Amino acid sequence: MKLINKFISIYLVVTVIVLGIGGYISYFVIKGELDNELKWRFMDRIDRVTHLLQQGKHFHHPKTRGDDDRNLVIQPLPVNREPETIIEDTLVWHDRLQQMEPNLKVSAYRTVEDTTYFISTYGALVETDDITEAVVQILLWILGLQVIGAIGVGVIVSGRLFKPFRETLDRIRQFNIQNKEPILATETNVKEFDDLNRFVEEMTRKAVADYKNLKEFAENASHELQTPLSITKGKMELLTETDLTPEQYQYVEASQRAIKKLSRLSESLALLTKIENHEFTSKDEVNLTDLIRQSTTSFDEFIKLNGLHVETNLEEDVILNIHPVLADIMWTNLFQNAIKHNVEKGEIRITLTPTELEIRNTGKPLNIDPNTLFKRFKKADHGMDSIGLGLSIIKQIADQNGYTIAYDYRDNWHTITITFASEQS
Amino acid sequence: MKLLIIEDNEDLLQNIRTYLKREGYICEYARDYKQAFDKVMSYTYDVVLIDIMIPGGSGLQVLRELKSVNPQTGTIIISAKNALDEKVKGLELGADDYITKPFQLPELHARIKAVNRRNQRDGREIINVNEIAINTDTMEVTVNDTPVDLTPKEYDLILYFASNKNHVLSKQTIAEHLWGDYVDHLTNLDFVYQHIKNLRKKLEQAGARNYIESVYGIGYKFKVTNHA
Repeated sequence: MKLINKFISIYLVVTVIVLGIGGYISYFVIKGELDNELKWRFMDRIDRVTHLLQQGKHFHHPKTRGDDDRNLVIQPLPVNREPETIIEDTLVWHDRLQQMEPNLKVSAYRTVEDTTYFISTYGALVETDDITEAVVQILLWILGLQVIGAIGVGVIVSGRLFKPFRETLDRIRQFNIQNKEPILATETNVKEFDDLNRFVEEMTRKAVADYKNLKEFAENASHELQTPLSITKGKMELLTETDLTPEQYQYVEASQRAIKKLSRLSESLALLTKIENHEFTSKDEVNLTDLIRQSTTSFDEFIKLNGLHVETNLEEDVILNIHPVLADIMWTNLFQNAIKHNVEKGEIRITLTPTELEIRNTGKPLNIDPNTLFKRFKKADHGMDSIGLGLSIIKQIADQNGYTIAYDYRDNWHTITITFASEQS
Repeated sequence: MKLLIIEDNEDLLQNIRTYLKREGYICEYARDYKQAFDKVMSYTYDVVLIDIMIPGGSGLQVLRELKSVNPQTGTIIISAKNALDEKVKGLELGADDYITKPFQLPELHARIKAVNRRNQRDGREIINVNEIAINTDTMEVTVNDTPVDLTPKEYDLILYFASNKNHVLSKQTIAEHLWGDYVDHLTNLDFVYQHIKNLRKKLEQAGARNYIESVYGIGYKFKVTNHA
């Protein structure tokens, strides 16, 4: 639920409650006022009758009920009584409506020239139903206006007032730490939004700085490793030149293999870091068809030695817009992967269309979760002399170029599909 | 052959010098930019090895200055960075080759020889190992003047052996020399054996002695005892 909708609904609920209470109060206030007004009018009438009596006016025909206009009763009493005013509610039969109607009756005892008169008058009260109806009608009007107002304000608020907020939100959404660009605060004239923007700027600045440090560290560390590795490697080579026993040779050989692996590991890490650091951003048109043809030729020997059979189905001149080095690394890694994780007398099938590259190879089923396959240092076979970064590198390159990569295993066939979706859009 | 090694790391320098001295090279060295500049300006060398990151300046600057006074000197850049732009820059400045750390000493040596051959061009295209002659210009190998029909890989192999005579070359080293980074991901190095077996057979059929000696558990050695 959008904030503004929530806000409007809370506002409307409060309005309904307030209007309800207000209506209840209005009802009593209006009723009180009307009743008082009627009461005072009747009192006034009694006063006027008294005044007329004092003037000596005689009411020859003492009026009783039935005179619809005045409903006035003036009756001389045989005994004197103290002046008194009685106000009471009664129900009076209404001829036209054929029902009992609430009436207000004011009766008074007045003594004029030693004669006490009973003066009584009554009239229909404004019906409570009518008041309720009027109040409810007014309230509904107010509510209607409130709803229109709230929605109108809501539209303006969400449209204009929340604009900077939405803009900030959009920029946060688009923020990519790998671009190393912090989100710069823009000035709005709302303090809260300014606070938010400044906070976002500080936070992203810090994140970017930390990220940069981390990446630089990773890159430097892997470079720094190369020199000591070079030294060790050289020393090992010099050692093989000396007179060693076969056993000693084996130790040297094993050390050399380990050094080689270490050096490859640090190279691959440096490469991954470089790709992540966007050091290969310039793009060029790369003919993937040619690239695949050339590399299958250069791998020919390994393919034959491993007893593999390669089947290619390439569409001519598939052009990708990618850094040439990345294209080469991506393809080489994919292909080597297919060779390495193959079985004796296995097969590799390569299909290339302008939208998709699919490489399938026979192989043993994975013994790890396929979802972790593209993660670093995830290896299907720990005994193998691989370093577990090949697929991470492929994934990184695919991600950076907006390609999607998928893995599937079925009936002893491993399939990796790279879709060049962004190329089409 | 006279070499200058520009390298600030003592151990690495020592490795290179030890290996190359055995070949009878005169190896001079410089540990920083100033020393390198002085040596390059004062003497001439056949091949100069340049580490890009040296104290006091850049190896690329040394390369530039060297090329301005002695353009015919062979140069090989040594760098820890596999960065492509540096490689391109180095080669644009006229470096003959580029090798990244960690490199193998036999590989470095083979490259020094190749650079030197390319630069000298004074009839040294023929490398002789007793009865075997390798013409690096036409890429032909003869044994007692009988041509031997070799595949390109076998040719590379014999040239590599001839460049690193009497050194033990591991299977890994040989594989990397012949196939470059492609072998990085391959664990089965039996194909090296295949190639060596074929080469040995072809050379022996042509009448050469068996110079390729297996070193148990490690690799091979091109053993030439009575080398003239």
